[in-house]
Amino acid sequence: MECVVQGIIETQYVEALEILLQGLCGVHRQRLGVHEICLKSGPNLGFVASEVRLLCDIEQAEPTWTVKHVGGAMRGAGAEQISVLVRSMVESKASKNVLRLFYALGYKVDHELLRVGFTFHFQRGAPITVTVSSVNKMLKLHATDEAVPVTPGIQLVEVTAPATSENYNEVVAAVSSFCEYLAPLLHLSKPGASTGVVPTAAAAAASLMSDGGGTTL
Amino acid sequence: MPLKWVFNWQPNAGSTVNSQILNEVSQCVESINGVKEGRWKATLTYYKPMLRDQALAAEFPRDFLGISLPEQPNKYYFILRGHKIVLEADSSIQLIMEKLQSYKSRVALNFEGFQYQLGDFQLRVGKVVPTHSENLRGIVMEQVEYLPISSLEKSRQLMEEFVDIWQDAVSKRSLPGHFLHIEPNFSDYGLADHYTSQHTAVQYAHVMAQLIASVQAGQAARN
Repeated sequence: MECVVQGIIETQYVEALEILLQGLCGVHRQRLGVHEICLKSGPNLGFVASEVRLLCDIEQAEPTWTVKHVGGAMRGAGAEQISVLVRSMVESKASKNVLRLFYALGYKVDHELLRVGFTFHFQRGAPITVTVSSVNKMLKLHATDEAVPVTPGIQLVEVTAPATSENYNEVVAAVSSFCEYLAPLLHLSKPGASTGVVPTAAAAAASLMSDGGGTTL
Repeated sequence: MPLKWVFNWQPNAGSTVNSQILNEVSQCVESINGVKEGRWKATLTYYKPMLRDQALAAEFPRDFLGISLPEQPNKYYFILRGHKIVLEADSSIQLIMEKLQSYKSRVALNFEGFQYQLGDFQLRVGKVVPTHSENLRGIVMEQVEYLPISSLEKSRQLMEEFVDIWQDAVSKRSLPGHFLHIEPNFSDYGLADHYTSQHTAVQYAHVMAQLIASVQAGQAARN
């Protein structure tokens, strides 16, 4: 399982967000470059259609592959009330021929994306990952060199933390309280329920840029 | 990574594998001063596609199998022999396959038995039995070389010399069959001369193919 919230920010304020995150997390950012291939089962395979993502980390000298399955969100009255999405998620590292294997099993490319940006990994009540990336689409299959932004001038911010059925309440609380620190720059909500950019972003960014993140927001 | 050859017991024409042969083989290892070290177990699963229309089964691979090896407890291996693909993944890939609900287990087999130390070698002798059953389907043997040589080519002579000694010891017992080692063409799978667990997974896939072929040949002979 994982807890996740998403938001968007204008590219012009990303540098300020980075300064803020650096100050909050106390760790350095890591570069992010992921080629994400979303596969769907062919029409005859499985009683219901299935979807799996192959993530190729192109930041490594030798690209590494991860298979990721994102399942349904937790439902019920309790899940409705919390501001963080809790969903099933399973990941597995895999050798580089994983795309060939899934093709042979009857899966086909549905779409692919290139995410470029940075991440922060840190511990704050839970192991939290903040990903800030520009999402790009490819005009030709696998042509990552010719990727173009899906939404020019806007970047995606995602905050995730692994959870289990035993501890998700604490993880949700940790993610929620962390998100409050980012509120002047962006609003984070459950995926699919985006609330757009925040009006205070310009002022908050200007303040951060002028004092290097030293001021507590 | 210790280099390994995997053998399967090839019964003589008209004979079948039985637990008496397994006992004799185990005694044979001890007779050449093999020291029993403990138990080992590997698990192999054949998967079949979940289809709304069974008539379309031919469009999907029939030889899709997964293996877990005792020396790599956090890894899982998928092999498609027809496509010459071997994939190494974390063991969580099994949970992903379960969630996808596109393939399910058709049959699962355990390879289990004892391992023995013999000088620079380790021998693992084991029975092949379906999970939740005791029906013996075959006998496998792993010959593992401890020396720090990871090159298949460089170790070939040493491995062959040991096989000669071993086959000689087995042949004295006049058992109705022999251990067979057919080395798959690893380069077909994109594997190099440097030995890895992926080589072991491919060997198991080929051993299973031989085992199924010999069972089918035995059935055909009886009919």
